[in-house]
Amino acid sequence: MALVHIDGEDLVVVIEGLDKLWALKSSLTIPLVNVRGATADPGISADPKGIRAPGAHVPGVITAGTFHLDGEKVFWDVKDPSKAVVIELADERYARLVVQVDDPRATVSLVENALS
Amino acid sequence: MGRPRAFDEGEAVRAAVALFGGRAYDGVSVDDLVNHLGVHRNSLYKTFGSKRGLYLAALRRHLADDVRPLAVALAAAPDVATALRLTTEADLGLLLLAAVERAPADEEVAAEVASALGDLDQAVVDALGVPAELAAGITAAALGLLLRGDADRAGAALAERLDPLR
Repeated sequence: MALVHIDGEDLVVVIEGLDKLWALKSSLTIPLVNVRGATADPGISADPKGIRAPGAHVPGVITAGTFHLDGEKVFWDVKDPSKAVVIELADERYARLVVQVDDPRATVSLVENALS
Repeated sequence: MGRPRAFDEGEAVRAAVALFGGRAYDGVSVDDLVNHLGVHRNSLYKTFGSKRGLYLAALRRHLADDVRPLAVALAAAPDVATALRLTTEADLGLLLLAAVERAPADEEVAAEVASALGDLDQAVVDALGVPAELAAGITAAALGLLLRGDADRAGAALAERLDPLR
C-alpha cells in the first residue's frame, strides 16, 4: 500500500508497512512538473511487467520494486490489483509508478487536480 | 524512451472518441482502451499521460471533427427548421456526455464544452440574425431534441412557431 499526497510543489508517495522492505524504498518525491497524470487501472497487473531488479515479485501475491520494461523503469507496489493507480512521469528515473492506494478514485482526482 | 510509436495516434484518438462518446467515463476502463485502440498500455500512458489526458484529446478531436463542421453548417442555415435538423442529425455523443458527466467534475472539460456550445450559439446568431439569448435557446432546444430522439415532429412543430419570428 502507498499513501499519495501533495506537498507544496511535489508529489510524495509513501510506501507503507512491510511493503517498503519488498519495494526497497520507503518514499518517492516527484516534482509536480514531472507528473503527467494519474489513472486508476485495475487491469495493469495482468500485463507483462518486465524484469525485476531490485525488488520482490511473487505472482498473485505482491509486485514491488523496480521493473524494467521496453527500456523503461517502472516502480511497482501492488498486492491488490483492483486498487492500482498508474502515475505517469516525465524526466524522472521512473517512467511511471504503479502503486496500490486505499481509494484509487480519490488519488486520481488529487493528482489530476494538482496538475491543472 | 525514444522508441518510435508503433501506432497511429490520430486513429487511436478517433477510436477513443467513439468509445467515450458511447459510454460513461467510468465505464471505459484502461483495458477497454487498450483493446479498442490498438495501443499498448505503456504507449498509451507515454503518449497521453493518463486516461484523462486521452479523454481530453478525444474531446478536442470530437469538437474539431464533429462540432466545428456543425457550427459552419449552422452559420449558413436559412431558417430555424434547418438549424434544428442539422443539429439533431449531427454526431454529438461525446459533447453531450461530456456536458452532463465530466464538465461538472473537470474544469478543463467544462471550458471546452462551454466554448463549443458558444460556437454553436454564435453560428445561429450569424445565420438567423437573432439575439444571442434566443440563439442559445434555439441550440438548447436542438440539443434537447437530439437527446430525446425522434426529433422530427417536435422539431417541425417548434420550427413552425419560431420561423415566422425571423
